[in-house]
Amino acid sequence: MKRTFRNILLTLCAVAMMAGLSWAETLKVGVQAPITGSYANEGQGIENAVRLLAAQINADGGVMGKQIEVIPCDDQGTAMAAAICAKELVNKGVSMVIGSYTSTAAEAAQKTYFDAKVLQTSDGTADGLTEKGYWTFLRNSFPNSAEAVFAANYMVNVKAYKNIAVISDFSSYATGLAESTVAEIKKAGGNVITYAKIKADSQNFTPVLTNIKSKNPDAIFFAGYYSDGGQLRAQQVALGIKADFIGGDANDNPDFAKLAGSAAKGAFIINVPSPELLPYDVAKDFLKNYEATYGMLPPSIWTLMNADGMRAIVHGMEQTKSFDTKKVADYLMSMEKPLPGITGPLQFAKDGNRIGSSYMTFEIQGDNSYKVVHAQ
Amino acid sequence: MDIFLQQLANGLTIGSIYALVALGYTMVYGVMKLINFAHGDMVAASAFVGLTIYTQVLGQSTSLIAVVIIFLLSAVAMACVGVLLERLAYRPLRQAPRLSAVVSALGASLMIQNGIMLIWGPQMRIFPELIPQIYWDLGGVVVSLIQVIILALSLILMVALYLFVEKTRMGAAIRASAIDQDASRLMGINVDKVIALIFIIGSSLGAVAGLFIGLYYRGITFNMGWQYGLYAFVAAILGGIGNIPGAMFGGMLLGLFQAFIAGYVSSTWADAFTFILLILILIVRPTGLLGERVAEKV
Amino acid sequence: MKNLEQFGFPVFLIVMAILPNVLNSRWQAVAITFLIFTVVALSQDIILGKAGMFNMGQALFFGMGAYITAILNAKFGWPILATIPVAILLPALFGILLSGPIIHLRGDYLLVVTIGFNIVFVQVVQNNLGGVTGGPNGIFGLDSISLMGTQLSSQIAVYYFALAVLLLTLGIMRNLEKSKAGRALHYLREDQLAAESIGINTRAYKIFAFGLGAGIAGLAGTIFATQYSAVSPEAFEFLQSVLFFSIVLIGGSSIPGIFLGVFVMFVLPEVFKEFATWRFFIFGFAMILAMILRPRGIWPATFGKIPKFLIKESNNGA
Repeated sequence: MKRTFRNILLTLCAVAMMAGLSWAETLKVGVQAPITGSYANEGQGIENAVRLLAAQINADGGVMGKQIEVIPCDDQGTAMAAAICAKELVNKGVSMVIGSYTSTAAEAAQKTYFDAKVLQTSDGTADGLTEKGYWTFLRNSFPNSAEAVFAANYMVNVKAYKNIAVISDFSSYATGLAESTVAEIKKAGGNVITYAKIKADSQNFTPVLTNIKSKNPDAIFFAGYYSDGGQLRAQQVALGIKADFIGGDANDNPDFAKLAGSAAKGAFIINVPSPELLPYDVAKDFLKNYEATYGMLPPSIWTLMNADGMRAIVHGMEQTKSFDTKKVADYLMSMEKPLPGITGPLQFAKDGNRIGSSYMTFEIQGDNSYKVVHAQ
Repeated sequence: MDIFLQQLANGLTIGSIYALVALGYTMVYGVMKLINFAHGDMVAASAFVGLTIYTQVLGQSTSLIAVVIIFLLSAVAMACVGVLLERLAYRPLRQAPRLSAVVSALGASLMIQNGIMLIWGPQMRIFPELIPQIYWDLGGVVVSLIQVIILALSLILMVALYLFVEKTRMGAAIRASAIDQDASRLMGINVDKVIALIFIIGSSLGAVAGLFIGLYYRGITFNMGWQYGLYAFVAAILGGIGNIPGAMFGGMLLGLFQAFIAGYVSSTWADAFTFILLILILIVRPTGLLGERVAEKV
Repeated sequence: MKNLEQFGFPVFLIVMAILPNVLNSRWQAVAITFLIFTVVALSQDIILGKAGMFNMGQALFFGMGAYITAILNAKFGWPILATIPVAILLPALFGILLSGPIIHLRGDYLLVVTIGFNIVFVQVVQNNLGGVTGGPNGIFGLDSISLMGTQLSSQIAVYYFALAVLLLTLGIMRNLEKSKAGRALHYLREDQLAAESIGINTRAYKIFAFGLGAGIAGLAGTIFATQYSAVSPEAFEFLQSVLFFSIVLIGGSSIPGIFLGVFVMFVLPEVFKEFATWRFFIFGFAMILAMILRPRGIWPATFGKIPKFLIKESNNGA
């Protein structure tokens, strides 16, 4: 026993010394994102954006003289890999982590960052992320509940659908969005004829869709990710189900239309404004630089949301003139004037939620471009 | 009734893909008594090879001839990989303990799967819409052109294979090698050639199945081979492993079973039900539904 | 061989005892992973190597132990250490119940059935059966180990916990080899018919091996859940079972062989981080090569208590 305690003390000293050393050198910024796996496209976007921001900040002399060092970790969009990433990034001494893309991966890592006082900013939209009281967590997007209100209003009041079928997979994000949307539809007086669940990545959704077909829905609302959404839409059309398809925010990715093929035309997607629709100067600048550096536009708005999260934390550090994460978090959660962000004004509530949301409904056109059909 | 018929049509489509893949497992097992774990990954590889042939060689042409060329070239390519796999990974282990060959097969599976990832990347790749989206509404049951193609082509291939195995001399050699390799050798059959032939046939049928998956579902990932491989393997066991008509029957049966489970019970429990069915069949009738009863081999 | 064991073990013990003090926290984590996976591979060896049953579903018992600890701790507030007995007994019981009806199956069929069990397990936890498994997300935010009221949150505590479990497992395996059960298992692996004809109840011993292997894997699961303070379905997928299965066979079902296998599979990729994407490709290639060059494994096990001239060189292996 005695030895164990001595060991603990020794290690603590060693860790403290190493941490001290690393403080003196660089500001370590972790990226926890699905760099491989089904959502690789989004994960690579997040890493690219963070590297670009870091390069820009470093070129301007860094954060209070400290150069930013980016340390990526691939969480594959899965909870276990995320938990391992969290340990690894904390062990490497990061002071903030950008990501992850999925709520599941963000949630699995939350407690580790909280215990280590590492700031975490994710686009994860599951409401549960901000309900645990972790001051280390800053949501750089808007919660599912806000989207559910918009989606339900759009379907029940704007489009006047009589019968709506809701589909989700099993992830925290998808079940959260689906459940709150079902509740909001009912509140708005709409009729949910079925709420079905699918297994992500299982490709064959025809059995579920066949059942839905027999209930004659006017609309299918899919809360889930684009890699399943595109195939779901294609199979829906192939089964001759005439209902409108409305995809939740995570369907907003170019691969959705590619997977759906000719069936993509006419599908609706609900999300915050897409990158090219952002009116802000910061956005235009960032997009220009992103395209110049990587030869393509960011895969979706989520890349930019995460970039904004990082900008907010760096801003917090500069304003408080401190690398103390608690001070930075306190400052960010009580800012009086919003910071102009790439994706709009950045301001956080006490629980780490981002304030203010603006959703839009897009209709996919024949050439796979988006047309705004409804805006909040 | 409409729903029932619709699930039936969907089940037969996916079932015929399983059947094609299951044939590869069952033929190899029949002769070599080896579970070729790499077979599922060959199916996945074929979809990627087909995609590359389409984009690189054919310049994204979508004519009927282009589709035929993709099928032929992919089948030839996978047949070569299959023969190579047998020569390098399985033949040196023919006299070794059974488990050594199983480990080698697992190694080959990991190698092919991750080889796909290294060449084509970890993200999902998307197949072009090569078969036009045409569908017919037959009184409530909707059948699409691609479904008809998959079903028809699979049936043709399976009947052809059945006739080949049952009616030709080479087919007889395959059947003889499956019963007793040593005796076949004594009768003047070149068992090495038979095994190479089996890998050629199995791999090219798998290649066709891989392209069907690409054309039907469009999204292909490097690790999808595990899933299709396992299902097809279950199908092969359902029909009695080593039994060629059994694999066809097992594939169709599994496709229908999964469609009905997903349609009438729960889509999220389809995997569990598939394997529970398998376990029950193995406990009650260990040699599969069509397999002959043989004494336990120690 | 024997000298090596006599020297090797104390040296190994000393190295392992001081190791965490010279490693930084990142490598401590790697060392813990090594210990955990070694225990699971050893438990797999009891079933596959010692009893000769083609089990390719060991991740099921490993996962079950991890999930039991996670559920009892995170959902019911049990201290981690109090979950240990349940995390051992329940998987062991499951091992016994599951193996009962399938034990008579021929090698390859047993392989497939155990794969099936593994897949059913993953689906059960993914679908959040009974509302306690957390679905595809799993369960996060477990407590750290507490001993007599003190929270041992450092990795070093987990390390020594894992090391103790490894030593316990090695002790069990050593005793097993010397015991009646161990000899019986050895005979029935070598020649089941002969073993039955001299009165060994093969069925009972096979089920015993399954239960023992499952229980140890369950205990390893507890450490795993504690180390990451999280569990989720994909950590216990069938691919993990494949790795444990392969490690035992490539190692040759011997203790040094298994250590080597786990080291190559889980530690080397950490050393060569830049080759991480090549890991499984290289490992697959190594599996084929190892089997061609040494079909009985890199470091084949010898059975200690029987004089060499009495062991017939078997040629069917399984």
